[in-house]
Amino acid sequence: MSTETKAPANINLIQALNWALHDAMEADENVIVFGEEVADPEGGGVVKISSGLSTKYGSRVRSTPISEMGFMGAAVGAAVVGMKPVVEIMLMNFVAVCMDQITNHAAKLRFMSGGQTHVPMVIRTMTGSGIQNGGQHSDFLEAWFCHTPGIKVVMPSNPVDGYGLLRSAIDDPDPVLFVEHLKSYFAPGIAPERGSKIPLGKARIHKAGTDVTVIGYSRSMLDIPPVAAKLQAEGISCEVIDLRTVSPLDMETILTSVKKTGRVVVVHEAVKSFGVGAEISARIHEALFKELKAPVQRVASNDSPVPYAPPLEAAFLYSHADIEAAIRRTLA
Amino acid sequence: MNTYQPDSETLVDIYRKMTLIKQSDDRVIGAMKAGRMRMPYYSARGQECIPAAISVLLTDEDYLVTIYRGVHDMLAKGLPAKLLWAELAGKATGSCKGKGGPMHLTYPSKGCMVTTGIVGSSMPIACGLGLASQLRGEKRVTIANFGDGASNIGAFHESLNLAAVWKLPVIFVCQNNQYAEHTSYSKGTSVAKISDRAVSYCIPGLHVDGNDPIAMYSAAKTAIERARSGEGPTLIEAMTFRFNGHLIGDMGEYIPKAEYAAAVAADPYPKYRSWLLETKQASEADLDAIDLAIRAEIDEAEAFAMSSPPPDAIEVKRDVYAYEIA
Amino acid sequence: MSTEIILPKIGFSMDEGTIAEWMAADGASVEKGQPLYSLESEKSVQEIEAPVSGTLKILKGTGESYPVGTVIGEIA
Repeated sequence: MSTETKAPANINLIQALNWALHDAMEADENVIVFGEEVADPEGGGVVKISSGLSTKYGSRVRSTPISEMGFMGAAVGAAVVGMKPVVEIMLMNFVAVCMDQITNHAAKLRFMSGGQTHVPMVIRTMTGSGIQNGGQHSDFLEAWFCHTPGIKVVMPSNPVDGYGLLRSAIDDPDPVLFVEHLKSYFAPGIAPERGSKIPLGKARIHKAGTDVTVIGYSRSMLDIPPVAAKLQAEGISCEVIDLRTVSPLDMETILTSVKKTGRVVVVHEAVKSFGVGAEISARIHEALFKELKAPVQRVASNDSPVPYAPPLEAAFLYSHADIEAAIRRTLA
Repeated sequence: MNTYQPDSETLVDIYRKMTLIKQSDDRVIGAMKAGRMRMPYYSARGQECIPAAISVLLTDEDYLVTIYRGVHDMLAKGLPAKLLWAELAGKATGSCKGKGGPMHLTYPSKGCMVTTGIVGSSMPIACGLGLASQLRGEKRVTIANFGDGASNIGAFHESLNLAAVWKLPVIFVCQNNQYAEHTSYSKGTSVAKISDRAVSYCIPGLHVDGNDPIAMYSAAKTAIERARSGEGPTLIEAMTFRFNGHLIGDMGEYIPKAEYAAAVAADPYPKYRSWLLETKQASEADLDAIDLAIRAEIDEAEAFAMSSPPPDAIEVKRDVYAYEIA
Repeated sequence: MSTEIILPKIGFSMDEGTIAEWMAADGASVEKGQPLYSLESEKSVQEIEAPVSGTLKILKGTGESYPVGTVIGEIA
């Protein structure tokens, strides 16, 4: 993949993330990349996000054994002494076999050491339903990590954010879980400006509006805009917020919007119960209960494992009609 | 494995470290029984020789990772007794500001990088420390301590494999005290010797009497030289025994009385002292002076810990991230 | 100056303990390190030694359960 600085007008998220890794490795020799199949002889990653890195940076880029607990711990250890590992977990469900290193170590060492050590690492992973990968290759598990103090959770939805957020995640002094969505990979978008970083913890107003605040991130940012556009034609003005960073939450942007609209819908692909939507809803109710014109609505996936058969997959995930109905409920 | 004969100065240094570990341990338990300190304390009494003999071969640059039963490893590597005691007491002046406690001791300036309370988790982290040194072209080695029980968890196997594949400068030190919490070795472990498991990863596996300072020193030197010269990892199984159960309050009912009595009779600490005197490596006066100096050091550490202030409540907001949380 | 004898925490989940027996009498002279009382907690009984030498004053009797941290006696 190209490492030229002259950007084409439109690229996809895969290319943007590849640029970010190339640029980060070029900028800081402490940046190292490892994970299953990430080096060029093994294909440069399942969807080629790490393509070209090992050819250019040699032993700083390594394909690992299928040994997530081992190499996740190795990332923690390397980070403790100032390396900046970007470690890839091929699919998000596989975090379950290395949770100990993420939640007990990466997230806690700064605190438990009284600030003597810290863990500047990035865990990149991808996931998403809708491509018949079934119950162990499709989950959105971000709530597990949002519930873990000490780690940040970043979930980009487009190439510009993907590039800028990954650069910032690599620069960040604390561990960052960086979740990519399979369906977002191939959606074309505006090319990022090389070197342009986007701060973590800052949401983006995707579309300004006055009637309803619709909050999404990652995959739901593919689904919310068409619904918002449809309702706009009826005169319903949605303000669409892309969180970009899910933890820590940008409550300032959220509350500013909700003060204006008084109505909120949160949309995410992760299952509904005990999820990010619940946290956002709770915080909004705590801060702006009297200013709300309707209860906060959540649109999310069915509380079941991700199914295999296409009709079941369709029934698992929310639909555009669900988003539309939730928005209309806030206006009723 | 070669047998190396350390010089008298090194032998006395090993004694000094063993004395520091033993006296500190005795005094911590005394303070706990007197009600002056409360903590989940996993005594390493009986295992002093292992870190003492290893650490005389290390510099401050070398990395150490250990586990909840790791106070001995940390003291031997150079964690100052004062900072240890203040941490155990949960004081603001502790090495981790009272935020870690006995299971999370850390002191990077002496290479004490991580203490984990999770069985087996020291080893993957050690691989990462070794990877960092390897990529930077440094000569540092990393010592990964763990117990016999940890050799049955996946992290052990993944780490040995990864370290072998990448030829990482890591020495895996299994301190085999023969009990995984309350379960005896043979009930939980399929092999007669944990060191035999090294064969699966095509790395050397050294089985050694961890209570014999010369044998322990020789094994450690062999492994450290191999790691420093870029040849990769070694697994050392150091046989030992813990005298104070899994944690303080454990009365050891699951240990056969004869087995316990035999282990205590073979206590490596007085045995080593006698050996030093018999072989004239040191005089009684020399060793007495060391004992007294360490007694003073622990007196000072205890007084420092007891007189130090507790952490301020604001500390729960700090060190979660680089910035203070709201 | 007297030294307080504090009911210790010497078990994983211990938050209280029972004095099974005082092994020295109230008012007796005790030596540092001698068995002072036996403590019953979490199914185990263990002997606790005198932390210092001096004259024992018993403040809490046997058979009753006290929280960890209770001053059960003094040595003056």
